[in-house]
Amino acid sequence: MPVSNMMWVEKYRPLKIADLVNQKEVVGSLTSLLKNVTEIPHLLFSGSAGVGKTTLAVCIAREILGEGWKDYTLELNASDERGINMVRERVKKFSKFAGLDTDIPFKIIILDEADEMTADAQTALRRIIEDTSKHCRFILIANNISKIIEPIQSRCAVFKFTRISEKEVIAHLKEIAKKEKIKADEDGLKAIFDYSEGDMRHAINIMQAAASLGSITEESVKGAAGLTKTKDVDEVLKLSLAGKIVDARNKMIELIKVYGMSESDFLKYINEAIYRSKVENLVEISEAIAKYDYRILSGANPEIQLSALLAELSKFGK
Amino acid sequence: MMWSEKHRPQKISDMVGNEEARNSFVDWLVKWKKGAKPILLVGPPGIGKTTLAWITAKEFGYDIVGLNASDVRNKTNIEDILTPLLGNTTLLGKSLIFIDEVDGIHGRSDFGGVEALLKILKEPTIPIILAANSDQSDKMKAIKKTTKTIYLKPVPPRLLRLYLEKVLRDEGEKLSPGSIIKVITESRGDIRSMLNLTQAQVTGFDAPTDKSFETLDVEPAVNAFFKAKSKEEARIVLYSLRIDPREKINAFYSSIITSSLPSKDLAKMLDVLSEADVLYGKIMRTQEWRLLRYLDNILLKLHGENLQVQFSQYNLPWPLLNKIRWDGKVIKSLASVLAKKFHVSQSAIATFYFPYILFCMKNKKLALEINPEYNEILEKEMALLK
Repeated sequence: MPVSNMMWVEKYRPLKIADLVNQKEVVGSLTSLLKNVTEIPHLLFSGSAGVGKTTLAVCIAREILGEGWKDYTLELNASDERGINMVRERVKKFSKFAGLDTDIPFKIIILDEADEMTADAQTALRRIIEDTSKHCRFILIANNISKIIEPIQSRCAVFKFTRISEKEVIAHLKEIAKKEKIKADEDGLKAIFDYSEGDMRHAINIMQAAASLGSITEESVKGAAGLTKTKDVDEVLKLSLAGKIVDARNKMIELIKVYGMSESDFLKYINEAIYRSKVENLVEISEAIAKYDYRILSGANPEIQLSALLAELSKFGK
Repeated sequence: MMWSEKHRPQKISDMVGNEEARNSFVDWLVKWKKGAKPILLVGPPGIGKTTLAWITAKEFGYDIVGLNASDVRNKTNIEDILTPLLGNTTLLGKSLIFIDEVDGIHGRSDFGGVEALLKILKEPTIPIILAANSDQSDKMKAIKKTTKTIYLKPVPPRLLRLYLEKVLRDEGEKLSPGSIIKVITESRGDIRSMLNLTQAQVTGFDAPTDKSFETLDVEPAVNAFFKAKSKEEARIVLYSLRIDPREKINAFYSSIITSSLPSKDLAKMLDVLSEADVLYGKIMRTQEWRLLRYLDNILLKLHGENLQVQFSQYNLPWPLLNKIRWDGKVIKSLASVLAKKFHVSQSAIATFYFPYILFCMKNKKLALEINPEYNEILEKEMALLK
């Protein structure tokens, strides 16, 4: 069994556009667009995590390019690529190699987390899109559309994905549970939804982990949900507020340098953590995070910036 | 051979900086006709005034007759040399006159020189080029009335760096980034001085410049900085620490972070380092090296009373450093494999996938069929799971 199929999130990823959970509008207009494949513009998908953006992009590639879709699709994740030059090189290489003698209309480049790119990098990306548009179509994916520069938005057909409702997440989870022959009670499923905050991919991962304890109950879900590394970020915040800067910093560095959490994700999670931590100076803390987030963009060494942030947070502890 | 001579540009297009000034100078020579005003080039030393005059003359087919400060420039001398040229242009072919360091004509030894010069300048029959470092003296003001003046500026560090790197390449020599920055900062836009300093550096001796301070090693410098009794003393220590700015910031960072300071002091000092790092980031992005002069002023804010800071090279405890070096490498490589399979970023793998995969494996509900080189790390991480 291939690795990808061991994880339910991959095993039950929809293969056809029509199978997508709850994105009726997007699916509807895309289906009509696909009737005339050669006319398809570049696409830009926006919406929160785990609502099906990447899944849909892969479905489209499969539908347009057929069997050999993998050979003609380049998947990039902006938060993994080091700088726009890396993106340019990979796109250039990909768009060049022969293969357009087959009956495929164009190659597809899926660029995930495009909103992680700086405005400068996006400007460069715009050129890349233009230079290769003869042979390639881009599907850009972003959590936050307002972080995508206008010139790129205007070159793409924009699709906004809605959140998946609790009812639909739970229905989907039940279906998986049935196929995997796992017992799941209502409280357990509801707990999964609460922990996942509507993120389908996270929900499925929690369910699989909880299922490894036997069945899906509130208790087993609780045991599994605490595993995510966002919990460690909560811990970093707690240590900082308690004035234990060195411990907080060591943990932060472990998350980033050993496990590979990105700096921008770390900032995102620590900002979310303040809402969970029930602190009093919520606004000031968030402001401090914003200040260092900005400094990371203009600075040279994120580690220095993040250490300074943790030290500054110690001012807000009791 | 001196590099500043050896690498003197041979074509106008080889020169760096002052593009506008160069263009208007060439424009002046191209459009020159009898009676047109002479030109005066004003600017600090070593930015290419002389080079510009010589190579432009060459490119446009002029014979150049030059005088400079080392020639005696009294009345008779100037008249003797220049007057024949002015009268017999056809006989001698296409000529022009270049008088370098014209602000160096002294009242006493160059007796009557200025007057003789002014007379010639008022009725030029061939192109005349003058060069000066400054146009502020009374003598220069008189001369300026008869000329068209072009100002040249010091060459910006960004261009100096490009030029220096080219010269080093041509010479097959190398200089550490720290030394390159040092040479560029000290030359203050003077290409000649930059090349002289560089040549001195690569040939292994330091030219006796008035700027040569004692250079300190990192460890004693950082310790001396925190022991300094006054801001002034701390400033001198900082200035003597001549290393790459990135290393400089890092040396303070690792020393401060490991010195178990009260959290209030630590926060204050890390804020300063963050500011220094932002400045360095800006310099790297814009290549505006002139901003580097503010780095020491920012770092000086780290100095305070009774701060127990000791130099430390490493900013992390050993176990963590080792974990980053060994485990981190394997985990990241595994994450990049998984990221492709699951269509997510490596960061998402770290946060939302890896812990669940380990948990399922630990509960014997999942066996990852993956390159066996990852088995060891998977076992290790499973054991760490709560």
